[in-house]
Amino acid sequence: MKWVTWENVAVDRMACAWLIRRFIDPQAEIIFIPAGHKPLPEDAEPFDIPGAKYSHRRGHCTFHTLLREYNLKDPILERIAQIVDEADVVQEAAVEPAAPGLDLICRGLRRISPDDPTALERGVLIYEALYAELMAENL
Amino acid sequence: MLKWLLLSYKIPPEPSARRVYIWRKLKRIGALLHQESYWVLPLNAHTREQFQWLSAEIIEMGGEATLWEASLVLGAADETLKQKFIEQVDQPYLEIIEMLEQGKADLESLSRQYQQILSKDYFKSETGRRLREALLGMRGKES
Repeated sequence: MKWVTWENVAVDRMACAWLIRRFIDPQAEIIFIPAGHKPLPEDAEPFDIPGAKYSHRRGHCTFHTLLREYNLKDPILERIAQIVDEADVVQEAAVEPAAPGLDLICRGLRRISPDDPTALERGVLIYEALYAELMAENL
Repeated sequence: MLKWLLLSYKIPPEPSARRVYIWRKLKRIGALLHQESYWVLPLNAHTREQFQWLSAEIIEMGGEATLWEASLVLGAADETLKQKFIEQVDQPYLEIIEMLEQGKADLESLSRQYQQILSKDYFKSETGRRLREALLGMRGKES
């Protein structure tokens, strides 16, 4: 399936791209459009674009929405959703110390990558690492 | 010349909890209400994202939100606005410095408060730098 999002990915979209390819659609092809660009391509599922089906909902990040929509019930993914929530947008209460660090690293990763697809490729390693470490903590 | 983000919004008056919720988020981001008409932040990729999603949330609540990127032409100067952002963080920074000086401070909790203020210190306040050094200097000296 084709997926589309705005260019200049950061923490939430890197997390979503990882989630999509790892748990939802291994063959996913992700394309990028400039922020605010309309109309959206018709043959692609938009994510993390304001107003799209897979977007922020009730103050939660898009990663969180994807977990709900695809009925992914994995406590480790829930935990990552909490971290991404706090990393991506301001929350009234913050309980994940890793969040600001993750935000910074993902922004830096985009900065040192030549383009968005490369940033997503590199982001995979970060989220695999996060997943593995949270899993180990939970054992 | 600095670039700014301006946000104006309207939320249905009831339930009032929503208005409070959005207002709290704006304060937490460190946005400034300018002449009681719109909320201002210095523009960067991070603040843009913050305001973008806050706007989306307001619209989701049945409200209206408009977001602009702007530069000042007449009236307020960049420097004046910048100063207001610094004042907004200086006050809580100074409160922590005072508590540290009184010597009965809980370092761990004050450090956390410092980090929270730091996240909305958009213009690298000198008071913030002083507090940072004071906090680091207290390490190992806690009674």
